[in-house]
Amino acid sequence: MITVDRLTKTYGAYTAVDDVSFACQPGRVTGFLGPNGAGKTTTMRVMVGLTLPTRGQVTIGGLKYHDIPNPGRHVGTLLDASAQHVGRTGREILTIAAKTMGLPSSRVDEMLALVGLNDNESTRRLRNYSLGMKQRLGIAHALLGDPSVLILDEPANGLDPAGIRWMRGLLKGYADRGGTVLLSSHLLHEVEMIADEMILIGHGKIVAQGDKKSLLAGANGSATTLVTSLDNAALGAALSQGGHGVEPMGDGLKVQATPEQVGRAALSAGVVLTDLRSGGAGLEDLFLELTSDTAREAVPGVGAPTTGGTPA
Amino acid sequence: MSTPTPIPMLDVSGTPRTPITRLVGVEFRKAIDTRAGFWLATSILGLVLVVLMIFTLLVDGQKDFGDLLSVAGGVLGYFLPILVIMLVTSEQSQRNGLVTFTLEPQRSRVVAAKFLAGLCLAGTVMVLAVILAAAFTVLGALTGESPSWTIDGNLLFNGFVLANVIGILVGFAISMLVMNTPAGIVAYFAYSLILPSAAGILSALSSGFEKVAPWIEFNTAQMPLFSGDYQPSGQEWAQIATSGFIWLVVPLALGLMRLMRIEFK
Repeated sequence: MITVDRLTKTYGAYTAVDDVSFACQPGRVTGFLGPNGAGKTTTMRVMVGLTLPTRGQVTIGGLKYHDIPNPGRHVGTLLDASAQHVGRTGREILTIAAKTMGLPSSRVDEMLALVGLNDNESTRRLRNYSLGMKQRLGIAHALLGDPSVLILDEPANGLDPAGIRWMRGLLKGYADRGGTVLLSSHLLHEVEMIADEMILIGHGKIVAQGDKKSLLAGANGSATTLVTSLDNAALGAALSQGGHGVEPMGDGLKVQATPEQVGRAALSAGVVLTDLRSGGAGLEDLFLELTSDTAREAVPGVGAPTTGGTPA
Repeated sequence: MSTPTPIPMLDVSGTPRTPITRLVGVEFRKAIDTRAGFWLATSILGLVLVVLMIFTLLVDGQKDFGDLLSVAGGVLGYFLPILVIMLVTSEQSQRNGLVTFTLEPQRSRVVAAKFLAGLCLAGTVMVLAVILAAAFTVLGALTGESPSWTIDGNLLFNGFVLANVIGILVGFAISMLVMNTPAGIVAYFAYSLILPSAAGILSALSSGFEKVAPWIEFNTAQMPLFSGDYQPSGQEWAQIATSGFIWLVVPLALGLMRLMRIEFK
């Protein structure tokens, strides 16, 4: 539905987006992932005509955004939840948008209810909103026109864990009903739970794209497993003998092998496993590795990720 | 890399282009739905009321409807453009332009809507000011005077309506050029207060400049609109046109070009 075709945007000598092409399909959530300043926002701004591309183009359903009549009814956009007049109430902000799109004011009430802003909150002025409330309002704003395409820039920013879970369910349901969702994030965990397809961008260039499985498969066999057993020493020895890299981590071990290989090693060594899971860090390592030369800070030694590496 | 699946087309047959009347309605609402906008509009009328009151109490002699009208018009002339400046610049200063121009990507239509909304708002305030001036004329009649109700059509059109519309246009041009609320207001007052004084001082010092001033300084050129018989002569109209080109048409064109290109962040 969204087709980005050889998009390039330069500001003087600085190239914000460098020859980027990808497509977002209906019925799927596409995650747009990259460190700060990677070019995600610029790409999304070009999609909705706020920024003119230097080269290339973006079409939505075959049309340029400029040529979509009453575009709010087709494409829901959240680029920056704070980019609203701080002197307006949440309800007034939605009312203005509803009037622009020619929607009845009942639609405003529906959306406020959907994102869980109550009467008291919706009549407060935006300057008194927390970031999470602004974000909910922004999502309501994007959904107002019942669009078939959603473009959301860092929508989870500022939401509490319950809010993030709520949004995940909302977007999943939206895509299941045939909608096209593109959401950006700089947090891998946020995206990998919900995205059917991921696009990794660093320094304005796409470094990888595909679903989670194919991304991991492409990461030259760097599958890792986190395992805890009643006898870590024996298990570690067995795995090392099998040619797998083993290092202690927390109460257990981090192994350069698939969970299946670790399970088989434990079976043959007769060690009881108390915890066995795929190292979610695999994708994270990949993400950091792919974008590291472009990230602002060098990645500190691989040895100390947050214990467990539980996907959010 | 790219997905081979054919891209589904967007069916836009059910959504006609947003009519300009709807955009004007929205912009009108945006001008007064914030505290700043609402109270500015209200205080302009309050100020008209206060100035008319002072004028009635302190100035001796009979106050005709026409006199009160030109006083009210003078007050409006200073403040109506501020309303327009806030309406246009808030898109950048308050950053809601991001949403405005996403919902209507044809920027020229938003500009047209803003301009028409500004005119509607100014028209509303003008009508209310006329009603206030009429009320004070009635008050004068009640206190034993016999004010004249006849007004010069030139006063009404040139001194009241045209002068204020020019002010609004200048405010509009300045807004699009600077796209920043405080800077826009400062620039407008520099233009409307400092510039004519500077032109006055220069004219006093040099008779050569005095001759040139009305051709190049818009405020000076507009004086015949609200003084004397409110009817500029042919040469005075030519001066209004020439200086208006410099101070109105050029900034308006540049401002429009800037607004069409500016990246709303």
